[in-house]
Formats: sequence, C-alpha cells, structure tokens
Amino acid sequence: MMVRMGQASNAADRRDRRFGYALAAPSLTVLFLIILFPVLSALFTSLHEYTLIAPNFDTFTGLANFKAALGDAEFRHSAWLTLRFVIGVVLLEFVIGFGVALMLNKVERFKPVYYAILLCPLLMNPVIVGLIWRMFLHPNLGIVNYLLGTIGISPVNWLGDTKIAIWTVILVDIWHQVSFMIVLLLAGLSSLPKEPYEAARVDGANAFQCFVHITLPMMRTVIIVTLLIRFIFAVKTYDLIYIMTRGGPGVATDLVSYFIYRTAFVSLNIGEASAMSILLLTAILALTAYLYRYMRSLN
Amino acid sequence: MRPGWRNIIPHIVLSVFSLAILLPLIWVVRVSLTDKLTAYKIPPEIGHVGIENYIEIFSTYPFERWFFNSLIVALVSTAIALPLATAMAYAFARFNTGGAFLRLGVLASQMLPPIILVLPLFTLFFSTGLMQTRMGLILAHLTISLPFLAWMLVSFFEGDSASLEEAARIDGATRWQAFIKIAVPVAAPGILAAGLLGFILSWNEFLFALVLSGADSQTLPIGLASMETHAGVEIAPLAAATVVSLLPVFALLPFLRKYLIKGLSLGALK
Repeated sequence: MMVRMGQASNAADRRDRRFGYALAAPSLTVLFLIILFPVLSALFTSLHEYTLIAPNFDTFTGLANFKAALGDAEFRHSAWLTLRFVIGVVLLEFVIGFGVALMLNKVERFKPVYYAILLCPLLMNPVIVGLIWRMFLHPNLGIVNYLLGTIGISPVNWLGDTKIAIWTVILVDIWHQVSFMIVLLLAGLSSLPKEPYEAARVDGANAFQCFVHITLPMMRTVIIVTLLIRFIFAVKTYDLIYIMTRGGPGVATDLVSYFIYRTAFVSLNIGEASAMSILLLTAILALTAYLYRYMRSLN
Repeated sequence: MRPGWRNIIPHIVLSVFSLAILLPLIWVVRVSLTDKLTAYKIPPEIGHVGIENYIEIFSTYPFERWFFNSLIVALVSTAIALPLATAMAYAFARFNTGGAFLRLGVLASQMLPPIILVLPLFTLFFSTGLMQTRMGLILAHLTISLPFLAWMLVSFFEGDSASLEEAARIDGATRWQAFIKIAVPVAAPGILAAGLLGFILSWNEFLFALVLSGADSQTLPIGLASMETHAGVEIAPLAAATVVSLLPVFALLPFLRKYLIKGLSLGALK
C-alpha cells in the first residue's frame, strides 16, 4: 500500500478530476449540441407562435400554446389513451412474460431452443412488425380471419373497428415486446438462491406459497426495474401506430406521439406541438428520475 | 425423474408460445417465395415457388439505395458514438465525473421520446441545410445511440480492471495509458456488443428518418413503409423486402446474446 501525504493525494485527485472531464468533454459537447440545445429550442418555440406557414419567432405568446394544448380535447384524449395503452401493454406483457419466464426457468430440455426463438421479435424493426401484422390481419385477404373462419368464427375487422383497433395494436405490441419482459425476468429468476426454496419445502410449503412468499419478494427489484424501463419505452410507441392505423379509425388509436406528429406536420402548428412535447417531456423526466433513484438503491 | 403432467405442461405452454412467434415469421418467408396471385389466395395454396420477389425489389424499387443508406447511417453514427461514449462512460465509472446529476442527464436523454427531439431538429436542420441529408440523419441517430452506449458502458468499467489500472499507474503509466491500454482492452467484448446494439438501434429507427430524410437519404424502414402505399398492398415483394431487412439483425443476434440482458436492462441487470 502506498501512503500518500494529504497534499499529494489532493493534487492527484485534482488531476483525476481533470482527466475525467477531458474524457467526457467530447461526448458532453455533442450531447449538448444535438439534445440539450434542441430541447431548449423546443421550449423557446413553445412560447412563440410558430407555424410552418409562417416560420418565424415574431410573436411571443407566453403560455398560450400550453393553454391551447391543454384545452384541446383531442390532445387530452390522446394523452389519456396513451396512459391506458401503456398500462395495458405493460401489465399484460408482464403477466404473460412472467408466466413464460417461470416455465423457462423450470425446464432443462429445449431451453436454448425456446430462448433463441423468443429473442427473434425483440430486435425486429417495429415497422416490419406492423407491416407483417397488417398483412395477416387484413379483413378479407388476411390469414388470421381465414384461420378463425375454419373454426367457425366470423371475420373480425381488426384495424377498422373503433372498439377493436386499440386492442389489435396492443396484441401486436405484446407479440413484439413480451420477450423483453421474459429475458429480464428470467435473468432475475435464474440468479435466485436455491436454499430458501429447499427450506420452504421442508416446512411443507406448496408451489404457490413458494412463489408468493419467496420468489416475488426476492424478485422485487428486478420486477420494478423491468416494469419502469418498459413503461418509459412504451410511452414512445409511434411506429406501430403510423404503420398500422395512422391513429385511426377516427382517433381510436391516436397515441400522444402520433398526435404531436400530426399537429406538427399535418396541421403545421409547430408551436403548439412543441408545447405538447414539453408536457410529455416533463412526465418522462419525472418517471426517469424515479427509475434512476431506484437503480441507484440497487447498488 | 417422473414423467407426468407436471413436467409436460411447461413444454406445452412454451411450444405454443414459440409457435406464436415462429409461425408469422415462417409465413412471411412463404409469402415472399410465392408469386403475386398465390400470395392473395384464401384459402392458401402452395402454388408456385421462386425468388422473383427478391429480384423485383431490386429492379422495381430502389431497395439497394435504402439498404445502403441504412447501412451508412447506422455504421457512421455508431462509429462516432462508440469512442465518445466509451471515454465518457470510463470517466463516469472511474472518476465519477459530473456526479449523479450528469448520469441522470444521460439516462434522461436516452428516455426522451423521439417525437420531442424531432420537432426542434426539423427546424434546426431546415435552417442549416442538414435537412434530407445522410449527415443530418447520422446526427439525429447520435441522439439515440450516444446516451444509450454511454449509459450501458458505465457498468462495463465498474469493477474488473480498476486494480489492474492502479498497478499500471504505480509502474508509471499515465492516466491515458491506463485507460487506453488496460481498461478498454479488458472491456472490449462488452464495448463491441454495445456497438452492435447501437447499430441495431439505428438500423431500426423510424421517426427521425421519416421526418428528416429525403428521397436520396431514405433508409430501409421508410422505404418499406412507402412500398406499401405506392404499390397498393403488394404483399409478395413486401414480404421479400422484409426478409432481406431482417437478415443483418438476425445475423448479429448470436454475437449479442451474452450482453443482451445488460443492454436491455440499461446495465441494471447482468
């Protein structure tokens, strides 16, 4: 061990700190230019009247864009729909994913085969997922309605019915993303210690009791991290909507990302769209701060 | 081992689950190998089998341009992001540079929905001439890959090589040498896997490409989406194009498996 004098160690610490900043500086510069600056400029835009028809910052309007956004029934609809969509997909994917992960954790044979298969959708482009499912779900020419027909179920208008469309998108999202839950939950399950289960079995606990009193409490942190990450990523859902429904029929699947896109590039009202995106940003930042605090408490 | 329902049920459930994933993929491959009429036949027929659709996507659609644009954008943005992110991640892990505040900032920028960034990037690119260029798209993709890589790589530098570096420093190595000659080689497999994930993020990205690219800089996802609209629903060539665009990602999958959990959980789980 080296014993350093206080002063020498202070100088070394200072040089460490300088070196750290030197290493981080290029990244920080780039992040400032391509993320922080644009976000600040969106904040600036949100306080002005700015449309693509008259693209200038002449008129400072204060919070008028925010008022307009919050007063817009369609925006409120899309925010509320997004919240329900996100809670829906996250919970369903969690339940299915946990079930599959528990089974995968039990089996030995064919486990690598099952695992390799379930990884496939995970890295697939959402555009491709949307396109192939649109193809399968076509009301007359799709394979899904044909297969349902063979067992006597009449054709379903998967993407054209205002009541069904959102559930169709949820189902496709589950097909695409449920493996995310499985992979992370399985990683958590396979690292659990064996002893508590053996002890519980000696005491006569059944499988269900083991699950509730051992598995769930020990998986707590993994479950929360998995749910939070998936939650934040589900808020971003855009591609599936663009490809499968364009927010329709009507506004039945108009998730907030797609609604902001429409406000900016169809209604050409960048100012109001920026205000909406700042509101969305605030919600995401709050969630992220919570996730971060939680991740830090893990170590 | 007693064979019985208890042991068979998981296999039944897992087989059904696996089929639910596999059958759609197999069906896409099948459609891509039929001719246009057979592709629409309900009930399905085997009919003709051939690779005409694969030829058609290159002859009728600018498929190779989409593919090439995607490749360039993904490669260049990852090549820029990887060294930058590696240096910052090392600074975070070893010197706690910027403290919790900066780390949270990097995590938050990774969590940003792209719709929030695409609006200001659109107006900025419009006034700087980056609109509809590959360079603009590369910059836009950096907003995704740089925070992702930096955040993921921090966990690769925590632990393993710290004591090795200290030994080297006592032997007279500079801080830079300890970083470049010890920390980076030790973490190299993780850095490489992170780079592959960064490549896939860019390869799959849709919204930035949709808003910021033009006819010459269109990437695959945009091309695929446009195939559907301007040719009606020609599902046979579309299926062929889908298969070709999935190939690079599936080819990378085996190299990623070991690091996938870390990547997906943002470094929170191993």
